[in-house]
Amino acid sequence: MSQAVSLTALRERIRRIERPARHGVLPFGVATIDRALPGGGLALGAVHEILGQGGDEEDAAAAAGFAAGILARLGPHPAVACASATLSRNAGEGYGGAAGSFTLSRTAGEGARGHRPRAGEGPVLWCLKRPDLYGPGLAAHGLDSARLVIVAAPRDEEILWAIEEGLRLPGLAAVVGEVGRLPMVAGRRLQLAAERSGVTALVLRRWRNGEEAATERERSSAALTRWRVTALPSRDIEGAPGIGSPRWRVELLRCRGGVPALWDVEVADASGHVSVSAGLADRPPPLQRSSEPPLRRFG
Amino acid sequence: MAAVNPLAAAAGLAPGMPLADALSFLPGLVTAPAEPAADSAALTRLAEWCGRYSPWTAPDFQPGGGADGIKIEITGSAHLWGGEAALAADLARHLARQGITHRIAIAGTLGAARALARFAAEDGRPALPAPGDEQAALATLPVEALRLDPVTAAGLRRVGLRHIGELYPMPRDALARRFGDAVARRLDQALGDMPEPLMPLGETPSRRVRLSFAEPISDPADLACAIERLVADLVPRLAREGVGARRLDLAFHRVDGRVEHISLGTARPTRDPRHLARLLTAKLDTVDLGGDPGLGVEDMILAVFAVEPLPAEQIASPLPCSGQVGADGETGAALAPLLDRLGARLGLDAVSRLEPRESHIPERASVNVSISEAKDGKDSKPRRLASPSPPRGAERVGVRWRIPECRPIPTSPSQRCALGPSLSSLKGGEGFLHSGIRKPPRPVRLFAPPEPVEAFWVLPDDPPFRFVWRRRRHRVLRADGPERIAEEWWTAEGSAAADAIRDYYRVEDEAGRRFWLFRAGLAASDLPPRWFVHGVFA
Repeated sequence: MSQAVSLTALRERIRRIERPARHGVLPFGVATIDRALPGGGLALGAVHEILGQGGDEEDAAAAAGFAAGILARLGPHPAVACASATLSRNAGEGYGGAAGSFTLSRTAGEGARGHRPRAGEGPVLWCLKRPDLYGPGLAAHGLDSARLVIVAAPRDEEILWAIEEGLRLPGLAAVVGEVGRLPMVAGRRLQLAAERSGVTALVLRRWRNGEEAATERERSSAALTRWRVTALPSRDIEGAPGIGSPRWRVELLRCRGGVPALWDVEVADASGHVSVSAGLADRPPPLQRSSEPPLRRFG
Repeated sequence: MAAVNPLAAAAGLAPGMPLADALSFLPGLVTAPAEPAADSAALTRLAEWCGRYSPWTAPDFQPGGGADGIKIEITGSAHLWGGEAALAADLARHLARQGITHRIAIAGTLGAARALARFAAEDGRPALPAPGDEQAALATLPVEALRLDPVTAAGLRRVGLRHIGELYPMPRDALARRFGDAVARRLDQALGDMPEPLMPLGETPSRRVRLSFAEPISDPADLACAIERLVADLVPRLAREGVGARRLDLAFHRVDGRVEHISLGTARPTRDPRHLARLLTAKLDTVDLGGDPGLGVEDMILAVFAVEPLPAEQIASPLPCSGQVGADGETGAALAPLLDRLGARLGLDAVSRLEPRESHIPERASVNVSISEAKDGKDSKPRRLASPSPPRGAERVGVRWRIPECRPIPTSPSQRCALGPSLSSLKGGEGFLHSGIRKPPRPVRLFAPPEPVEAFWVLPDDPPFRFVWRRRRHRVLRADGPERIAEEWWTAEGSAAADAIRDYYRVEDEAGRRFWLFRAGLAASDLPPRWFVHGVFA
């Protein structure tokens, strides 16, 4: 009996050590996708790889949209968010005099217990070769471009370095990097940095041409998951010509502790959620966001 | 001949002599073409090296052009070297080690020091008149020492005024009448009756710390250690004044007299010693130490060129990030070290933000703004004004929306032809009809500049049924459009632009990829319209 108990405890301990989602997970809000992922969502504090398909391997547009949808629902690490809550409460009640004289502790204090990081907030570092991101387009997938810090560097090595620097700062919501090559060693470094700080890294693979894509596509990496996002022909809307509801094929190619799978979904909407099919998806009610559109100034 | 060495001078040669004459004196004379530009560059470099003695240094230009001396303002810095004599001795030692013959003089005025260095000092015996003795020291020097042009000097000699001392009793206005302003002015300057400021080479730093080494160092670990000490010296000064550094320069004075620099800017004022040391150390590998192993560095000078007020604050605390980047101070403070590190390695221009602008021209509606600009709060307002906001109602005029009646979309060009011209506008899409927002969809990636494509179309107002982009063929199966976007006619260049009117189409190819195409130029004009891919939808 006692042996069985200790065995259970041991299993539990091993599970906790092995658990890839030490920093929690971000559910997609789509049951079929979340079921395929260990922990029920995208592991935070880890490196995820997102690929394009066909000609989009050069532009990574669908991958960028998919990443924007994830970022729209991602906030900074809970520990930092708790510190933020403590600070604002103290400042509000007038403790401690000047606002600059607080001593913040990174551990979640009892006053801040139960506070959850607000989703869709906190800065995002996006490292790429040529700054071709377009704010209004990202906003359509839920990512407020005011959260972005964009770093442009001509070479993969510099981008990988910039991603790693970003992963060391727990205040960031996430780091996105667009690289052609992701060597095993570099990927492992990123994974370690992400685990330490709890910041999530999304690595979009973007290849210059077909040859580079062909050699790099099959190469394995140290990322926790590998996704491929492909634009699908849009679903026609009854009675409306032209482009209907745009859709993606989202493939989970590799996932540690999960099973590869694929889903055809409607593209991420302005709240960052994908949906399997309108009406069928069982997702939580949309987050209460401000009633204003995210980019009101865009005419 | 422009210059002669001591040996040739001893043989009777002098600058200014024709080469033929010189060769007749000394048939075995070795000559090299004069390179005034290279000389002047070398002198400037040497003047920069002299920055180890004072931040105010400059090459000294002759009246006829060309420079053969260096001016150093040592007021307030001589005591750091143990007095003027010790400073002169140190300077002489270092110059001798670089193989530079030199004459050094230190005096109370620039004019006196200049005259003494050229006409009184000798190699190894600097002219150091005691303060107040300049007048006596200058008295025996020839009038040429006063920086006069040769004609004036010859004029003075003709009337028997050979030495500077002979000018002292002369009335200044008489001198000025007879020989021009220059004589009286130069005399006054040499004697200190008229101020003569030194225009330093380059910018003068506001704060500066120096570290000299008994033995030259070149090991990166040693240099990093020295950087930490310099920063530790600098930071308390910044803290006392309540400022943070925005622009810094670290100069490495190499043993061979060259000076290497690390220059960096920070995203926001800082005086965090660990942060500053890390920024500087990260750039160490860009410094040329003259081969491997390096020649060695004997002085390091850290100078601050720009500061901004930075109130006392708790440094290096993990501040919360609550919202937008840079907009609120807290987030900016937490991000600044990261931005500085990124900026220091990749350049501050590489780090930017996407800023929405009031423009309906797609590429102007979302602009990459470098962090270094964006952080200057004062600058942001005028810049925003630079791209004019549309007058009231202009937006509605600028973009004309055609929301046509719904029709079945043709799936092939032949079918479309069969359906005739009534299909000239294809419209649909969830952006309009379903969400009720009149904002058409926009791509996630926008190409700057737009990439030209080879397009095939049937009717003037139709989207192409096929296009070739980056050597790939795309067959268009579905399309939305056109969305007409005209240049901002209220700006001067807008109304003059050739392809001022663009018709945008959102098209989907057979694989499902969605592109943002536009046609530049009106279909009715003489020139054939050109097609571009402006962006890709997710």
